[in-house]
Amino acid sequence: MFDSYESFQGGVFHASVPEGRAGASIYLTHSEIVAKTQPEGEQTFSIRLSECQLDLGGASGRMLFCRTPDRSLTIFCEEKGFAQALHQDAMGTLSEQLSNLCMTQRRSENQFRFWVMASAVLLVVLCVGGYYGVLAASRAAVHALPISVDEKIGTIAMQSMDLEEPLDEEHPANQLVAGIVDRLKPHAAIREMDFNVVVVESDEVNAFALPGGEIVVYTGLIEQAESAEQIAGVIAHEMSHATLRHGLQSVSQSLGIIAAIQIMIGDVGGLLALGSELAQESILTGYSRGAETEADLEGARMLHAAHIDPKSMAEFFELLKEQQGDIPGVIAWISTHPQHAQRIENIINYEKTLPKVEYHLLDLDLSAAQQALK
Amino acid sequence: MDVEIRNRPSFANMLVSLDPDDSIIAEADAMASMSADVQMSTRWNGGMMRAIARRILGGESLFVNEFTAESAGEVVLTQPFPGDIVCLELKGNTMYLQPGAFIACEPGVTLGVGWAGVRSFISGEGLFRLKVSGHGRIWFGAYGAIFTREVEGEYIVDTGHLVAYEPTVAIRVGLAGGIFSSFFSGEGVITRVKGQGKIYMQSRSFGGLAAWTNAHL
Repeated sequence: MFDSYESFQGGVFHASVPEGRAGASIYLTHSEIVAKTQPEGEQTFSIRLSECQLDLGGASGRMLFCRTPDRSLTIFCEEKGFAQALHQDAMGTLSEQLSNLCMTQRRSENQFRFWVMASAVLLVVLCVGGYYGVLAASRAAVHALPISVDEKIGTIAMQSMDLEEPLDEEHPANQLVAGIVDRLKPHAAIREMDFNVVVVESDEVNAFALPGGEIVVYTGLIEQAESAEQIAGVIAHEMSHATLRHGLQSVSQSLGIIAAIQIMIGDVGGLLALGSELAQESILTGYSRGAETEADLEGARMLHAAHIDPKSMAEFFELLKEQQGDIPGVIAWISTHPQHAQRIENIINYEKTLPKVEYHLLDLDLSAAQQALK
Repeated sequence: MDVEIRNRPSFANMLVSLDPDDSIIAEADAMASMSADVQMSTRWNGGMMRAIARRILGGESLFVNEFTAESAGEVVLTQPFPGDIVCLELKGNTMYLQPGAFIACEPGVTLGVGWAGVRSFISGEGLFRLKVSGHGRIWFGAYGAIFTREVEGEYIVDTGHLVAYEPTVAIRVGLAGGIFSSFFSGEGVITRVKGQGKIYMQSRSFGGLAAWTNAHL
C-alpha cells in the first residue's frame, strides 16, 4: 500500500519486535513516517509527523532518529535523501527541529576539526622541539666528556678501517704533512689533543679526521694541490672536526634521538640496532652540513692564527669546484657538503672580519713531495 | 543448519551440523576439523577489490571459505585466541564488528568495510570496522567473555573492550577523568558510547595482555 511513496532503508526500535529491533523499509506519507519490518513476521509502525521528535546521532553522526513523544517507538534512517524528503513532506512541521539539528551537527563537526588540527599542530611542535632539544642536549653532553673518550673512539675506528699502504714516515709527503700539523697544532682549540697524521696512497682527493685527532690524508690530495698552503687549509679543516668534537657529537645525537624515541614509543630493539649502525657510519662517512661549515670557519681561524692565509682553503675548494663542477642546488642542499661556492664565500667573508696580520708562506717543499709520489 | 557453541566462554568453538545443501561461510583458517564429505571452496572475501580492502582496512582475511554439505556433515570452527563466541541474527539490520572479530556467517549476510573515523582510531578501535548486514546469522568472537548492554543515552567502555555495536550508537573518545586521573588511573582514554542500541564487549583486551606481558619480559 506504500509502494507509491519513496522508500528508504533504515530500522526500528520497538518492544514488540523480537530482540527489540529490526531492519525496516521507511516510507514518508504527508502525515506519517511509516516503517515496515522485513520479510518474516512483517510488522508496520508509524509516527505522526506532528508528534515526531527528531534526533541526530549514530556511528556516522548522520543517522536521523524519529521518536514518539513517549520514546516507545523509534524509526531511524541513515540514507542520504531522507532528511531532505522529511523536510519537504512535513510541510514545515519539522523544519525548526531539522534546522536546529543541522546547526548542532555543524558546530560539533567544527569543534572536532578544531581539536584534531590543534592536536596535530601540538604533536608536530613537540616532535620538532624534542628533536632540536635532544640535539642541543647531546651537544652539551659531549663537551662534558673528557678528550680521552674521543681518543678511544678514534683509535678503534682507525683500527677497523684497514687503511691501504700508509706511507713511510721518512717519505717527503709525510714530512710535508707533519710540518703543516706542527705549524697548526699550537693554535688548535683543544691544546691537549694529540694529532696524528697518516698519509695513505690513493688517487682520491680526500682527507678525513677521526675523533681524538687521528687525521688521514690521501696522496691524491697532495698531488692535486697547487701549494702547501692549500694542503694546510684542508688539514686545518680536518683538525677542526676533531677539536670541535663532531664525531662524538654525531654519535651522541643519534643515540640521543634513539633514546628519546625509545622513551616515547617503548621497546624498540630493532631501531636501536639500526641506530648504532647509523652512528658508526656517520662517524666514518661524513658530518652534517652545519658541522662542515663550523669546521671551515674554525679551520680559517686556525690558519689565520698560524699566519697562513685562510684564502688558501678557499682556493683549494675552488680547485675542487673546477674539477668536479658545482653540485646542482637541490642536491647540494640535501647532501652533507655545503656547496663549494657557498663555502668559498663563507671563508672569504670570515677572513675579512679577522684582524689584519701578515701572512707567511710555509717553509715546506711541496714539489719535492709531489716528485717523490710520482 | 544447527550450530552449537561449545566450551564457553574460555575456549569457545562452533560445532556446525550441516544438513544436505546447507552452507556456512567462515573466515579463512577458522576451520579446526570437519567431516570428510563436506566440500570446502575458497573464494575472494566478496570480490577481489573488496576482499583486499577488507584485508588491509578491516583486518579480515583475503579469502573466505564456504563449507557445503552434499549429504550431511559437521564442521568445527574456532578463533585464534581464547575467548567466547556469540551468535547474532540479522533481520535486515546492520552491525559493526571490530577488525578480527568475525568468524562465520550464513550466505544471506553481506560483509563490507566501513570507515570508522578518526575518533574510533584515537580510541584504539581502528580506522575501519567490518559492516555486516542482510538476513541471517553471524558468529563473532572476542578475547575473554562477551557481555552485552542495551545502551540508552550514554555508556562508557574502556578502549579495546568494544567488540561490536549497532550503527545507531555513536562512538566518541574521551578521557576517563581529568588530565591527572586519566593518565595515572591506568584508564587513560575511554570510549563513550552514545545513543540507542546494543553493544557487545569483551572481558579482556589485547592491549591489556600486551602491556601485562611487556611488564614481565
